[in-house]
Amino acid sequence: MSPKPLLRLTVNGDALELLVSPQQTLLDVIRDQVGLMGTKEGCTTGSCGVCTINNARGEAILSCLTPALEWDGQSITTIEGLERLGDLDAIQKSFVHYHAVQCGFCTPGVIMSAKAVLNRHPRPTDEQINDGMAGVICRCTGHIKVKEAIREAHAFAADPAAKP
Amino acid sequence: MLLPAHDYVKPRTLEEGLGVLSRSGAAVRLLGGGTDVTFNMRNRLMQPAVLLSIRELPELLGVEEWPDGSLRIGAACRLADLAAHQAVNSRHPALAAAFKAVASSHVRNMATLGGNLNLDTRCWYANQTQEWRAAKGGCLKTGVDACHVVASVKTCVAINNADTPPALIALDATITLASAGGRRTLRLADYYRADGVTHTVRRTDEVLTEVIVPPTPDRLVFIKDTARLGIDFAYGTIAARRAADGRTRLVLGSLGPAPVVLRRAAVIATQRGLADTHIEEAAEAAREDLGVVSNLYTPAAYKRDLARELVRRALTALRDMP
Repeated sequence: MSPKPLLRLTVNGDALELLVSPQQTLLDVIRDQVGLMGTKEGCTTGSCGVCTINNARGEAILSCLTPALEWDGQSITTIEGLERLGDLDAIQKSFVHYHAVQCGFCTPGVIMSAKAVLNRHPRPTDEQINDGMAGVICRCTGHIKVKEAIREAHAFAADPAAKP
Repeated sequence: MLLPAHDYVKPRTLEEGLGVLSRSGAAVRLLGGGTDVTFNMRNRLMQPAVLLSIRELPELLGVEEWPDGSLRIGAACRLADLAAHQAVNSRHPALAAAFKAVASSHVRNMATLGGNLNLDTRCWYANQTQEWRAAKGGCLKTGVDACHVVASVKTCVAINNADTPPALIALDATITLASAGGRRTLRLADYYRADGVTHTVRRTDEVLTEVIVPPTPDRLVFIKDTARLGIDFAYGTIAARRAADGRTRLVLGSLGPAPVVLRRAAVIATQRGLADTHIEEAAEAAREDLGVVSNLYTPAAYKRDLARELVRRALTALRDMP
């Protein structure tokens, strides 16, 4: 076996150098090596969206469907990267306020998908929300409150001191 | 679950990548966005010795508008970028719709056009975990002379489930295949084979580098039928094109191992026009022409009915376009 290749990856602003195996997906590296357990493994087929992270352009990406080495030199944001010094991101506050959570397993993937929608459309239409969220499934709380939280997240973005 | 052991190779130039392919192409799997390959590798349906990353090769990127009105689309362009691309939307809105029909925004942020054109064929047996498959033994796709889908067949009937080929075939798109030995151009319509195991004519030393879409004033309609957009592969797709003089072309996708160009239905629509009765006649011809296609998702009788319904809807949409 050849020595493990080096992966240079910036995760939530931290520049990391990791020795990884080509056999690892980006999700494997995030969870098993970086130790960030917010990002979940779900279907591993591209159907459920619970492994969603954001790339450097703030777009939703499925971390379970991409080999880790494809991300050398890249920068990603996981659910852990949204909160700043104890202050939740606007979308997280909105999820709390609208109670867009039930068991919580899919929530990191749902929020990172929602974040990607808001990165492109700060005041998204229903169609933009539906398009951005079609690839994530919540099997317990349903999607109505999730949509509400995304639609109204701009209020928390406009007032950073607002508490959910 | 970890991916099968392999070497990851990321060439800096196309020529460097083609060199790898000319030496050991049969052991190489090309990696675009990874959404199909990673999935199939995890299920051990693909176990390449080498994964060759071609996603960032400059020769495979970019959309160009040529002076003759053609669009040149690099094979590594992401479907999300193409679905939103101004030139694609203004020239061929139905093609943009086909790009946007693929899976979810998450997948389209990763998946490439070249990857979709080469999407591996799918069936209810092969697209399971290795353990699940092992319980029934192998199949044509894994080198065993057996098919669990249609017991009597000698050729794999797995479905070409890609959403983008029908519209591109209807538009007379051509593709470029590059190898260390040179380049060849062929019509996308001639790229596919009705064999789920070797479903394209791409040689193992070749890379699909670009798609050329010629200009046309014709109308084009694309329809995808599926259970849940954003999650599910298509039950069936159709691209329908009609010229001002009435010449009509109909291409079905996801209803067999290769996209199907419907001859008889197109002749009926071309020669008799798009009055309701003639649309019915064309749709019925499509139903009869589809043949036996029991496989993924739905039984053959349903697929034939779906072919009829897709033709009916597509021809009606062509007729009613403003």
